[in-house]
Amino acid sequence: METFLNISAVYGVYLSISVFVIGMSWRTYQWATTPKSPVRLGMFPKPKTGAGRVLKMLKDTLIAPQSARIEPLMWAFAFAIHVAALGAFIGHGRLLHEFTPLVTWLGEDGMNTFAAWSGGTAGIVMLAAVVFWIARRTFGPFKQLSVPEDYLLLALLFGVIIMGDHMRFVGTIHAATYREWFQSLLVFKPEIPAEILGSSTGWSLGAHMLFTDLFLIYFPFSKLVHAVGAFSANLVRSE
Amino acid sequence: METQQMTTLVGVLDQKMNRQLKQYLDICARCAICKDACHQYVATQDFKYLPARRAELIRQIYKKYFTKTGEFVPALYEARDPDENLLDELYESTYACTGCRRCMYYCPFSIDTAWILSVAKAILIAAGKGNEMLGQLADAALFKSDNFEMFKDIIVDGFKDIEQQVKGLTGDPDAEIPVDKQGADILYVALAGAHSILPAAVIFHEAKVSWTLSYFEAANYGYFFGDAVKARKIADRFMDEAKRLGVKEVVITECGHAYRVAEIFHEAWSGEKHPFKVRHILEVIDEYITDGRIKVRPDAIKEPVTYHDPCQIGRNGGIFEQPRNIVRALASDFRDMTPNREQQWCCGGGGGLVAISEMDEFRIKSGTIKAEQIKATGARIIASPCENCRLQMEGLNDSMELGIEVKAIMDLVLEAMPLPGSFAKDASTD
Amino acid sequence: MSEEMKADLELDLKGLLCPMPMVKVSQNIASVAVGGTIRAVATDPGSMADIPAWAKSTGNELISAEKIDGEFVFMVKRLK
Ligand code: HEM
Ligand code: SF4
Ligand code: SF4
Repeated sequence: METFLNISAVYGVYLSISVFVIGMSWRTYQWATTPKSPVRLGMFPKPKTGAGRVLKMLKDTLIAPQSARIEPLMWAFAFAIHVAALGAFIGHGRLLHEFTPLVTWLGEDGMNTFAAWSGGTAGIVMLAAVVFWIARRTFGPFKQLSVPEDYLLLALLFGVIIMGDHMRFVGTIHAATYREWFQSLLVFKPEIPAEILGSSTGWSLGAHMLFTDLFLIYFPFSKLVHAVGAFSANLVRSE
Repeated sequence: METQQMTTLVGVLDQKMNRQLKQYLDICARCAICKDACHQYVATQDFKYLPARRAELIRQIYKKYFTKTGEFVPALYEARDPDENLLDELYESTYACTGCRRCMYYCPFSIDTAWILSVAKAILIAAGKGNEMLGQLADAALFKSDNFEMFKDIIVDGFKDIEQQVKGLTGDPDAEIPVDKQGADILYVALAGAHSILPAAVIFHEAKVSWTLSYFEAANYGYFFGDAVKARKIADRFMDEAKRLGVKEVVITECGHAYRVAEIFHEAWSGEKHPFKVRHILEVIDEYITDGRIKVRPDAIKEPVTYHDPCQIGRNGGIFEQPRNIVRALASDFRDMTPNREQQWCCGGGGGLVAISEMDEFRIKSGTIKAEQIKATGARIIASPCENCRLQMEGLNDSMELGIEVKAIMDLVLEAMPLPGSFAKDASTD
Repeated sequence: MSEEMKADLELDLKGLLCPMPMVKVSQNIASVAVGGTIRAVATDPGSMADIPAWAKSTGNELISAEKIDGEFVFMVKRLK
């Protein structure tokens, strides 16, 4: 297990974060340096001021009210997974540093209960949404539109989520232990705590991280670059 | 197909590449939210008309030739060469699109599928697979300006016929259709047909404005064909005329794509700012009515009237209220369709489709939703500015027996104006 | 003179608004053989410039374009 964890939870993390950061920067740089279309591609009605345009862009990107109107169910799942993913991302911040103000407020036990509930909810919402997406893609009337890339991403995402959920619902290791591991990565003195190595949950962490690494490495080369591109493309709408 | 040609086609994509296009090709999530936005997909459930699928064909070339991952693992993206198969599929998907951009309205990333398809048209043209009919119509328009001396007298003769009718309607023996008038305030660009000249001439006469009529029509088949150079040259015909005459504004007739070409595309194509304003005739008429420069009888039309927003004038041109103001000013029972304005359904007649006979059956079928919408209003008259929309809605009226009358807004205005020449007619019908 | 010639195809384009008369002639040219003729009658004055321009730019032959009793009558010969 140690070799596996070294690959996925140590070197893999360094590699994937580097590829992700460099890849996304390169992507953004490429977009920024490609000349703009001379034709204005906006549609009407459009805000008159620059601030109005930015506000509309944020609304269109973060809430996508038009998409909600045309396919409410799809919108609900898409909105749910993005928000849950954001929630989970923030939750992972506990690995960097304990959320001290929250702990002071809720108490040690309160914090653990809160984390269990919020993390658990996010985990279930994401799982449900991914299953919905896979089903919609596979059985929907437009399934021919899907290409292998779509399934690869969903499979990786499914892996990340299912293993994360496994760690949360089945595993017995607490955030403090994971924090030890993560902190050691941050100071470039990687070390995997004995508690993890000694528990079968170690395999879950290994798998969770393997899927995450692959997901992050593939991210900049996939349609997921919409995470950045959505903002500028939606700005063009009111140009 | 020969590699030589494929290289050329990839070159076309490279040449047309810009930031927006690149982003659109990179970020589409293939979520298919756009599918229910497209009247053609909804009416046929045919995969080739799904907006994201149309764009996907260009994306497949892009992935293979413009991204490393697509070059090395083409299977992941179904990346492929612009070969005969792809081009045939592309032709069907591309020339069917009306360019209504309803898919863009609903897409979470506002991906402009019609813009991607304008590049698809450039690729098809380079492969010798541009739509023949649209190409011929574009060439005919250019032939007229390139051999202008051959046509000038014929064109002016046509205007003289219409001038007689203007004199009759206005009761003014000096009423005229000015052509080539240096220093006029307005250059009005109509279609070749009398129907787009006569009402405007009467309205300009009654509003006592200084105007002149362009020799050339505003319709632009170069734009539908997808050749930006030809499209620009076709628009140059009256843009150059406007510069030469020193007018303050160019007013485009009701036609939808012509307005968008003049107002939005032409400056980008020519790379220079117009030294004049470009406005749509309905903006101008609305202003004349508001300012009291022309009069319309408030209840000239008592039957229920509805209004269809042409995509290129509404969603893509920004003119929503002026035509409604005009219709409300002269009709006592105005009813909007649902949905309307920026969410309005495309009628199915745009993109030059009315000129492509192979598409007639498909085009009418794609108008099913529009027909339902019209029926639901219970209106007897449908007013709409765009020529293509009106042709389509007349087609719908015949094939689906809607029992409506399809009218241009200018014609309604003309009917509602208390003109000396139309008194006799009023007296007999009242 | 066009009265005497018998056309292979007669097109009634009366009431059609420009550019539809030109579009119809163009759509129908393929249905006559090379060397065959179309006689078209339109009422929109714009067709007097449109149809000849179409014929010349597509390499077909315009045999005649005349105004007869307020109608516009064209004879077009398919050359290719
Ligand atoms: C902020 C604006 C964003 C919008 C409007 C947006 C919209 C969408 C939509 C509509 C889908 C549907 C995909 C499908 O049907 O498969 C999707 C998928 C996805 N998005 Fe986003 N997204 C945004 C930002 C982000 C960000 C910031 C991330 C991650 C960092 C992200 C990650 C994902 C993932 C992982 C998927 C699933 C991939 C898949 O379906 O294969 N998105 N997004
Ligand atoms: S709605 Fe937009 S992102 Fe989704 S498939 Fe259609 S074009 Fe792509
Ligand atoms: S622009 Fe209109 S016709 Fe074309 S794909 Fe989009 S919705 Fe369909």
